Amino acid sequence: MKRFLALLLALVMTMALVACGSKTDTPATPDTPPASTDQPAPETPAEKVSLNVIAAQYGDLTKDWWANFQTEFNASHDDIDLNVEVVSWNDIYTVVNTRISGNTPPDILNIDVFADYVADDLLRPIQDFVSDETYAKFYPAFLEQSNIDGTIWAIPDLASARAMYYNADILEAAGVAAPPATWAELRDACEKIKAYDSSIYPWGVDMTTDEGQACFAYYIWNNGGDFTDAQGNWTLNTPENVEAVEYIVGMVKDGLTNSDPANETRYDLQELFAGGKLAMMIGPNQITNYVEGSANPINFGIASIPANEGKETASVGVMDRFMVFDNEDTDDKVDAIKEFFDYFYEDTRYSDWVIMETFLPATTTGGEIMAAADPAAGEWINIVGSARFYPTAKAEWADVKQGVIDVEQHALLGGDVAELLDTLQASLPN
Amino acid sequence: MNAASQTVSEEKRAPVKKQVPGSSGKRLFRKVEPYIWIAPSVILMAIFILVPILSVFRMAMSDVSRAGKIKGFNGLGNFSKVISNPSFSLVLKNTLVWTVAVVVLSTVLGFMLALVLNNKFRGRKVARAIVVFPWATTLVIQASAWDFIINTDYGTLNTLLMRIGLISAPVNWTPTPEAYFAWEIACGIFVTIPFVTFCVLSGLQSIDGSYYEAATVDGAGYFQKLFSITLPLVKSSLTVSTVLNIIYVFNSFPIIWTMTKGDPANHTDTLVTYLYKLAFYNGKQGEAAAVSVIGFLILLICASVYMIYTLRKGDDDL
Repeated sequence: MKRFLALLLALVMTMALVACGSKTDTPATPDTPPASTDQPAPETPAEKVSLNVIAAQYGDLTKDWWANFQTEFNASHDDIDLNVEVVSWNDIYTVVNTRISGNTPPDILNIDVFADYVADDLLRPIQDFVSDETYAKFYPAFLEQSNIDGTIWAIPDLASARAMYYNADILEAAGVAAPPATWAELRDACEKIKAYDSSIYPWGVDMTTDEGQACFAYYIWNNGGDFTDAQGNWTLNTPENVEAVEYIVGMVKDGLTNSDPANETRYDLQELFAGGKLAMMIGPNQITNYVEGSANPINFGIASIPANEGKETASVGVMDRFMVFDNEDTDDKVDAIKEFFDYFYEDTRYSDWVIMETFLPATTTGGEIMAAADPAAGEWINIVGSARFYPTAKAEWADVKQGVIDVEQHALLGGDVAELLDTLQASLPN
Repeated sequence: MNAASQTVSEEKRAPVKKQVPGSSGKRLFRKVEPYIWIAPSVILMAIFILVPILSVFRMAMSDVSRAGKIKGFNGLGNFSKVISNPSFSLVLKNTLVWTVAVVVLSTVLGFMLALVLNNKFRGRKVARAIVVFPWATTLVIQASAWDFIINTDYGTLNTLLMRIGLISAPVNWTPTPEAYFAWEIACGIFVTIPFVTFCVLSGLQSIDGSYYEAATVDGAGYFQKLFSITLPLVKSSLTVSTVLNIIYVFNSFPIIWTMTKGDPANHTDTLVTYLYKLAFYNGKQGEAAAVSVIGFLILLICASVYMIYTLRKGDDDL
């Protein structure tokens, strides 16, 4: 009996260890305490409307900016108690899903995706929560990105666009007269650079889990392909898309790119580019600041992303959003949310924030202020205005995003691109 | 104990005796008493261990939306989706290779290191402290350091080899997914060795020196002493370290996540990184929970078999 009990106890302990084992090794829980923790909690009168916001952490300064915003907002709004929780991008999906599972979603969420929340009836149409004056400030094309079945579910908070960065000195030394504009010119330029100095990577490619979908977009959109057709049906295995993936995988296999595209992220490429070890790459406007801020800034230029012969060049736009959760809000709460957005999108405050985060504004007024302050930013604002965006309004986007990354990585390992894209297409409902 | 304290303790005991009416009540109380003492631990374990386990089982058998809402019962649907995915068998194979390679090699190397550190030599304390370092450092930092060492473009390994003239151009140390996985295993072994070393070292220090003296007198050689005295006497320490290592290494997440995120195309994924991607990159939390349950059952079976096997061999082993 004693032996049986001892055995039972040992088994329970083992089970406990098995269950707890991963806890010791998994990454730390969100290391981003609410922005309000720096301040002593003020006494909240009962009639105050409480407003909970989860905001994404874009950089090192984000937390302080929101903490300051919260203090100023609460000081100027006696009837609202705003609490902004800033969460890093690594943790934000986990935090939000946990809050949703526990039936305590935030009132306002700042994140990139929204279709999954719409599918679960968790959001309210955003127009009900934004004053007409603020709503009129957004670029209409940006608002359209959050349109599902005729309803706009989110408003953009900021955007970024992609273009080709090139090291002008390397191109000149290698005998490349002008930055490549077509795929043939790009390959030719890469071969010249490789012949000039084999220790320099001619072209940067990121096919990692982090952002491999951007790589897919760069090449299919510049080859006349797309993720969907005009009706919104998935069209991943079109000949244009197959040709696009084969082109870039061919570049990797011919040694014209960085050595490990499946593991080298955009940030690794950025480092190589700023260090003069990578001649050309596609990246967002933040690279300008990164390179200019380095110890020995290289001589670089920016050009459109190369397209296949006869195809129009297209930039890839990325946009994040604010959305409002359906928490059965009272009229006072609705007014408080409107007040929050009016306060946030106030032109000067908003442009300060966008400039601080080194992104591009999503409002016309913000764009004008930024363009006036910095002509280079003006060019980028034009690029983002004509950029194409991922089909994030489609519910299967998460599957497609990981699916195309998987296709690229399998292709790198020798898989047949057409077969891989056929399999991915077949796995999607159409 | 002096007379005064004896009196006090007798006085304290007296009312307890009065509260237990009759001898059958006393016997019942004696039977129940241990369970009362153990109850807080059992309740805590139930809340913090059993409830999460059950909720993962529930999620694994539910239809879960991308936003984390449970939509209804799904039976074994998530399990069949996971198992029918061609990547799953590759991930399972990787997990086994990862666990076996890291546990076996770190146990062998840790045991050898413990034998060395058990000898008396100048600077032994410093050497023991140095061995603790990898254990005391966060795994994410360790993995980042290894990634930095083997990096093709600015890695310290290439820099070192170029400085001493062994190579003239940077070498790509991770040309294939298998090579990357091997480096991850090396990192896993490096961070696991200290734990094994200290478990074995504690066992070695409890061995009475007279056994070795007697064996020497009888003419036993080094290896005879190692296999006939040392190994049997540190077996219990090795059992503990092996069981714990199987669990920790199987569930280890940071090394692989920091170095490759399981890329390319799941070729360096283990069950834990795979389920993390399923849950937080693909939004398939039901399937991720199913993978979690599969991992849990595999570990439970392995650990239980091992525990039952060692416990049956006698109480001395643990």
